[in-house]
Amino acid sequence: MSGRYALDSGCVVKVPRALGACSANKTCNIIRSRLPLASSTYFHTATVFSSQPSSITVTKEPDALFQRVSLLVKGHDKSVLDSYELFATMAAKELGIAISKVCELPKDTERFTLLKSVHIFKNHRVQYEMRTHYRFIELSHLTGSTAQVYLEYVQRNLPEGVAMEVTKTAMEKVPDHILKPMWEEDPIDNKLSQG
Amino acid sequence: LTGQTTHLSSLRSGSLSRGLHVTAARCKNRAARVRVGKGDRPLTYEEALPPHHIAHRKGWLSQHTGNLRGEEGTAERTVEDVFVRRFIFGTFHGCLANELVIKRRGNVLVVCALMLQKLQPQKFYFLIGYSETMLSHLYKCPVKLEVQTLQDKAVYKYL
Repeated sequence: MSGRYALDSGCVVKVPRALGACSANKTCNIIRSRLPLASSTYFHTATVFSSQPSSITVTKEPDALFQRVSLLVKGHDKSVLDSYELFATMAAKELGIAISKVCELPKDTERFTLLKSVHIFKNHRVQYEMRTHYRFIELSHLTGSTAQVYLEYVQRNLPEGVAMEVTKTAMEKVPDHILKPMWEEDPIDNKLSQG
Repeated sequence: LTGQTTHLSSLRSGSLSRGLHVTAARCKNRAARVRVGKGDRPLTYEEALPPHHIAHRKGWLSQHTGNLRGEEGTAERTVEDVFVRRFIFGTFHGCLANELVIKRRGNVLVVCALMLQKLQPQKFYFLIGYSETMLSHLYKCPVKLEVQTLQDKAVYKYL
């Protein structure tokens, strides 16, 4: 049943039965399966992931400084985490962010043993387990705007089935009233030293 | 396949007699496995491999963060998944070539399906749009259906 399958929003191209069929339009995407099948077509549906770029704001207040921004990425599939680590480290290098640590934490396994049968048969059980793999990436000495841009980029491209936890350690200026110890300012006053 | 444990005690009244011990039948695993048959039943790669091959030879059919350590929402995601699978199975009745792959990226629910070319493409487009709108209204999140069509089911093995 070879019908006419629309490969693009407007044009309709007849797909012949033989392999190696490709339309003249470069924008459409035919994903061919590797098994020897006659023809496979792809339905063009609306794009959901396109987003407008956020506007650049310029403010006069000083930017927040982060001593450390650490990302803990969790997932079920180690290879997915591997490729994501490569992506995140490459993005950080391109933006000029210093990466202090990239390590792999040992995996967590959650196991439980259930009865195999609905009724009786206590001696026959079934065991399930869920493995969580981790990746830890630590970046150091970032500004607030750099951190915001980097995190937004990296979070928008998080693969499905992968979770991320971000911990930011901010640096604040030491307040003026505790810059100098109190006993230096009033050395004569004895009441303060009595506690 | 239920057996019973019976235990007959031997009667020692002078004559020879033996005791009989019968143990319960071993309960075999039957989950997601297709039993070997005559060799005429075609199976896809997904159907042919049993569940202990997940993460070794098989991938995951539904990908979300609910099952990770320290994450919430496991049961909700699972229930949503089951509903989406039944919904799509019913809308595209007889057209599905393989199981659905459901992914969640942020707020978006992406359903990837392999279909057979049984219907007219206009009908396919209508059904895709219909299911996307219905599911997004039900779950209050953008739902994207990515469909690829094949002539026939991709057979991996005959059992």
